[in-house]
Amino acid sequence: MSPVAHGVIALLPEACTSCMICVRECPTWCITVESHAEQVGEPGARRPRTVSILDRFAIDFGLCMYCGICIDVCPFDALEWAPAIDNSAANRNDLVHDTERLAGWRMHD
Amino acid sequence: MSAESRTVAREAWEETLGDLKAQGFAYLDLLTAIDRGDQIEVVAHVVEPVSAGQIRVSTRVPAVDPRLATATQLFPAAAWHEREAAEMFGLVFDGHPDPRPLLRRASPGRPPLRTATVLAARVAVPWPGAADPESAGKGARRRQLPPGVPVDWLDETST
Amino acid sequence: MMATAGEQVRAYRLAAEPGTRVLVASLGLACCAMEVESAVRLGLLRADADAADPSDRTVLLVAGTVTDALAPAVRAIVDELPAGTPIVSFGACAGTGGPYWDAPTVTKGVDQLVPVAQYIPGCPPRPEALVAGLLALPFGVAR
Repeated sequence: MSPVAHGVIALLPEACTSCMICVRECPTWCITVESHAEQVGEPGARRPRTVSILDRFAIDFGLCMYCGICIDVCPFDALEWAPAIDNSAANRNDLVHDTERLAGWRMHD
Repeated sequence: MSAESRTVAREAWEETLGDLKAQGFAYLDLLTAIDRGDQIEVVAHVVEPVSAGQIRVSTRVPAVDPRLATATQLFPAAAWHEREAAEMFGLVFDGHPDPRPLLRRASPGRPPLRTATVLAARVAVPWPGAADPESAGKGARRRQLPPGVPVDWLDETST
Repeated sequence: MMATAGEQVRAYRLAAEPGTRVLVASLGLACCAMEVESAVRLGLLRADADAADPSDRTVLLVAGTVTDALAPAVRAIVDELPAGTPIVSFGACAGTGGPYWDAPTVTKGVDQLVPVAQYIPGCPPRPEALVAGLLALPFGVAR
């Protein structure tokens, strides 16, 4: 069995554009993305560009069915399988992993 | 292996299944239903145990009058299948000896496997995909809906 | 007639902690029951035929989908266990309903019936995750 099989789903926050595709494709509605828009001025550009800034990315591993659809549909490879065996929790709410915890599951930078 | 398919009129349902049973298709493998909009399709798979030959028999009943003769007199195994199809699709199997719900324990509501039925959990839980960062601060564009729910879903549930 | 817990649950012991006599009573309700058994194949659990010892710490593992129709039977099995027996949910269905979160016939987690001491997420969880989740319980053994 692959070490990443049925482990966890890790997030690369810097790759996420808050496009919401994973959230909308998730069959169990277990992903939450919060973001806001910012105007970014660039040298040489005539007017500032609007970009989405990720505020919070969370996966509820209590609901997650480990189908991997979110990983497949992400256009920016911001999600990946990662190994984890010690992710049980005494409280239901602790099964919800937010941005930092998801980023911490990454195998490599 | 592709099974032979037969489509029959509602009135011929019991007779067709009876003929097949007489021909040796004595094992009922499956009986279920499919919501086709104005009609509910009921499907049965019968098997001839020696050759494992299989025939798929289907019929359609109007969604507003979803009655069909029970197959339980021919195939006792149809009893559970029909109870499930009845509670999930709102079908009525005339002559069923024990038409109690099989799986549902919640209060009776609209049949959950009719496509027009919005599941209660999908109303009670806000869809996380409704957030729209692109239109944030610009006024919402078209409202996003989860896949597989009717377009008038929010109107229906907000009233 | 309601069957007794002894007929419905399957007993295991942790291979890593044979001395602690942790009796893992597995209530297998769906495919996760197979995944619990796979931990035996991997040598992580022992399928235990020993008679229960009075010093056993029993854990009830609920593995699989709890349906509304089956909920009273699950509840009855829990009620037959010694008071304070920790309940561990194994997998997404037992924890929250998981893939069946919107199904009209499925209980949204065994914690709707009884308090859960430890949730092991996964669909299914890895066998190693089962052992890690069991060892996370406060058994009172050196860890």
